[in-house]
Amino acid sequence: MTGVEGEAPGRHTHSEAALPATPLLDDETPFSTMMASFDEAAGRLGLGEMEYRLLRKSDREIAVSVPVAMDDGSFAVFDGYRLQHNQGLGPFMGPLRISEDLRIDELRALAAWMTWKCAVLGVPFGGAAGGIRMDPTRHSSHELERAVRRYTANLLTDIGPDRDVLSPDLSADEQVMSWVLDTISGHRRHTTNASVTGKPPELCGSLISEDAVARGLRVIGRLAAAHYGLGPGPHDVLIQGAGKVGGNLARILHAEGQRVVGLSDVHGGLYRPEGLDVPALLAYRREHGSLAGIEGDFEFVEGREFITRPCDVLIPCAVANAVHSNNAELVQCRAILEGAHGPLSVRADRILERRGIPVVPDILANGGGVVVSYFEWVQNRSGLFWVEPVLEKRLNRFMREAWEAVREVQARHDVTLRHAAHMLAVGRVAEADRMRGIYA
Amino acid sequence: MSTGSAVAHDEANRDEFNPFLSMAKGFDTAADYLGLEEGLREVLRVPNRELKVSLPVLMDDGTVRVFTGYRVQHNYLRGPCKGGIRFAPQVNLDEVRALAAWMTWKCSVVNIPFGGAKGGVICDPRTMSSGELERLTRRYTTAIMDILGPDRDVPAPDVNTDEQTMAWIMDTYSMHVRSTTTAIVTGKPLTIGGSRGRREATGRGVMIAANEALKMVGLRPEDTRVVVQGSGNVGGIGAMLLHRQGYRIVSMSDMYGTLYDENGLDVPALLAYLQENGRLSGFSGAQELPNDQQLELDCELLVPAALENQITSENADRIRAKLIVEGANGPTTALASEMLVERGVIIVPDILANAGGVTVSYFEWVQDRMGYFWTEEIVNSRLEQIMIDSFGEVAATAERYGVSLRTAAYILAIDRVATVYRMRGVFA
Repeated sequence: MTGVEGEAPGRHTHSEAALPATPLLDDETPFSTMMASFDEAAGRLGLGEMEYRLLRKSDREIAVSVPVAMDDGSFAVFDGYRLQHNQGLGPFMGPLRISEDLRIDELRALAAWMTWKCAVLGVPFGGAAGGIRMDPTRHSSHELERAVRRYTANLLTDIGPDRDVLSPDLSADEQVMSWVLDTISGHRRHTTNASVTGKPPELCGSLISEDAVARGLRVIGRLAAAHYGLGPGPHDVLIQGAGKVGGNLARILHAEGQRVVGLSDVHGGLYRPEGLDVPALLAYRREHGSLAGIEGDFEFVEGREFITRPCDVLIPCAVANAVHSNNAELVQCRAILEGAHGPLSVRADRILERRGIPVVPDILANGGGVVVSYFEWVQNRSGLFWVEPVLEKRLNRFMREAWEAVREVQARHDVTLRHAAHMLAVGRVAEADRMRGIYA
Repeated sequence: MSTGSAVAHDEANRDEFNPFLSMAKGFDTAADYLGLEEGLREVLRVPNRELKVSLPVLMDDGTVRVFTGYRVQHNYLRGPCKGGIRFAPQVNLDEVRALAAWMTWKCSVVNIPFGGAKGGVICDPRTMSSGELERLTRRYTTAIMDILGPDRDVPAPDVNTDEQTMAWIMDTYSMHVRSTTTAIVTGKPLTIGGSRGRREATGRGVMIAANEALKMVGLRPEDTRVVVQGSGNVGGIGAMLLHRQGYRIVSMSDMYGTLYDENGLDVPALLAYLQENGRLSGFSGAQELPNDQQLELDCELLVPAALENQITSENADRIRAKLIVEGANGPTTALASEMLVERGVIIVPDILANAGGVTVSYFEWVQDRMGYFWTEEIVNSRLEQIMIDSFGEVAATAERYGVSLRTAAYILAIDRVATVYRMRGVFA
C-alpha cells in the first residue's frame, strides 16, 4: 500500500492536490448504501477481523498532480486520483471519471463496489476507480486531451492490462478512453489494447458494448420474473430513463413482446397502460435529444409521480435514490430491477422488504456492462474478436451463472437478494485473499 | 516418488526397480529405432539448465533453518518448461533430473507446447506448520524467479504440494512483477485462475485411454471387468468415470486392502464410504482380499493407479488382464513390460495414459493467458480430443515400427523434440 487516508503518496507534488475535506455522507447516498451492504454481508458471513479490515480499505490510493497548458497560454494544475481496492481476484478494473466534484470518498466506495460487482459476476478483476477533478464542459477538447494524457502518464507504472484496466464513465467517453490507450501504447512502444475498455470498435473495442447493460438486465429480468412467479407475460414494464441503459432496454423488451407501459427522461415520463410505441419514442429522442415536446397517445406524468405508476416490473435506470423513503410506500409494482447504480436508498430498501416487493440489486442486475468490458479485455489479449452471437451467448451465461450463485446464497442464508449478492461477493474475495495469503 | 518397493528386493534386481533406468531404457530403445544421431542423444540426455538454491526460513520457534531446493529444466525446445514441485525428504538432484526429462516426453507425446521441468525442496512437510510451509514456498519462488515465467517455466503441484502451495507461488510472483500473473503456475484454486475439470483430469484421461484401448481389442465396456489399484485422485476418479461408461469395476484397493466383487462394485457408494471412513475396508457387500492378490485377479483391464514397480518380473506371469492402462507413473518395470508384451498383453504406457493431468494444466495456462475461462464441458471435450488423437498417433507409430505402445510413445515423443531441434538449430 503506497498511500493511506489523509496522507499524500510519493508522487504528490503540489499542496493543492491535498484531498479536500469531504462532506459527511448522509445515509441516502449510493455509496453509504454500498458500505452498509458490505458491513451487513461481512457480519452475516462471520468474516474474520483481519479480512474485514483489509477489505474495508483500498490496497492502494494514488494521488497525482496534473499540470496542463491551457489554450490561452496560462497554466492549470488539476488533481488526479486512482484508487485500487483489492487485487485478490485479479488485475484492478474500474472507471475513469472526469468531474469537478470528484470526491475521494466516492472513489473509494466506487472502487470497493467494483470489487464486489466483479466478484458477483465471476469476472476475474479487483475493483478500482479514479479520475481527474475538472469540469470537462468548461475546457476545450485540446485541454481535456492534454489533461487525460498527463494523468495517464503519471499513472503509467500502476496501470496496464495485468495491473489496472481503465473503463469509461459518463464523463469519460470513447474519445477519452482512446487518448488513454494511445498514451499508454506510446510509452510502451507497442499497442496495448487491453489496458482500456469502452473503446470504439475501430480501436479494437467489443461489439455489443453499447447496449451490454440493457442486455444483461433483460437476462436477469427474465430469470427474476420466472422465479417470483410473475407469470408467462407479457409483463407491464415501467422504465425510468431513456438513455443508454433505459432506452436500449425499452427497445429490447418491446421487441420481444413485453409491454413497456412507461418511459421517462429528465423532462418527465410518458405512461400508457396498453403499452407505448417504443420505437417511435426512441426515434423522436434520437432526433431531438430528449423526449421534451413529444406528442402522442399517452399520458404525461411528472417525474416524481412517474415512478409510482402501476406496473409488473419497475426498472429505475436513471439516477441514484430514485426510490427513497418518501415514495417507497407508493410504488405499485410486483418487482424492482435496479438498472441504475444505487437507485434505491437504504430506507427504501427496508420499506420494500417489509412490503414484500422483491428487489434485484444493481450489483447483479446491471452487471452486463462489466461483463462485456471484461470480454473486451479478453479479446484484446488474444487478438481475436468475437462475433455478436458468441458475445450474446457468453454474456447470457455469465448473467445466468451470477443469478444462480446469488440465489443459492439467498436460499442458504434466507436473506434478501441484495444481501445475498454482497455475501457472495465478499465471500469470493475473502476466499481469494485467504488462499493467496499475506505477502511478506 | 518413493522408491520404497525397490528396497525390498535384493541388490541384483535393484536395477529393475529403478523407474529412471526404465525410462532411460525406453529412451535408448526408441532412439535406436529412430536412428537418432549421437549429438542429439547427448543433448537430450542432459538437462538444459539446473538451479540449486539455499532457502533460509524463519521457523515458528524463532530459529532459522536453511533448506535446499532445485529446479531442473530438462528441455525447452518445444515451449516453456512445465513440471511439478515436490516437497519431500527424499528429494535429490538425480530424481529431479529424471522427472524433468519424463515431463519432456510426456508433454511431447500429447503434443502440448511445453518442455519438461521439475522442482523439489528437501523438507518434511509433515513436521512443518502452515506458516513455515508458506514462508518456504515464498522463499523458494523468489529464489528461482529468474528462470520462471509464463513463457519460461510454469510449475505445478506434485508430491506434498497442492492448490494452496500454488496460490502462494502465484501471489509471490505477482507481487514481485507488480501485476497479476495467473499463468505463472497451474493447479491453482478456481477463484484465482484455476481450470474447471482439473481435479478429475488424470482420471478422465485414464478413462479415455481405456476406451481407446478397448477398441483395439474389440471389447465393449459392459463386457470388461476392471481391476483398479488405488482409489485416490487417479484411481478413484478413474474408476468412477469407467463405472459411468458401463465398465464393470470388480476390484479397487487402497493402501490398507483390496475389495473384490465379481459382479461389479457399486463405485459411487464405495467412494462415498471411502470419503467418510478414510479407508475402503469394512465396505459391505464386497469381499476383502490382501493387496498382493489384487493384480492377479481375473479381469480384462488392469489399471495400476497407485505406486511404481507394482508389476514386476516376479508377478508378470500371473497377470491375467489383456489390457493394462498405467494410471500411475512407472507401475510396470521394463522387464515385466517385455514379458507381458511377449504374451500379447497391451500396455498403454504412463506417459500417454496419465497425461490428462498435464493436458488440463496446459489448458489452465492457456485460459490464464487469455483471461477467459472455459466451461467444464469444453475442458473435457478438448481433453478427450487430445487424448484420442495422441492415442491414435502412438498406435500408428507402434504399427509402423512394429513395437509396443510404450516404445512407440517414446519414439513419437523423441522424434517430435528432435525435429524441433533440427529446425531451430543450435543457438549461437
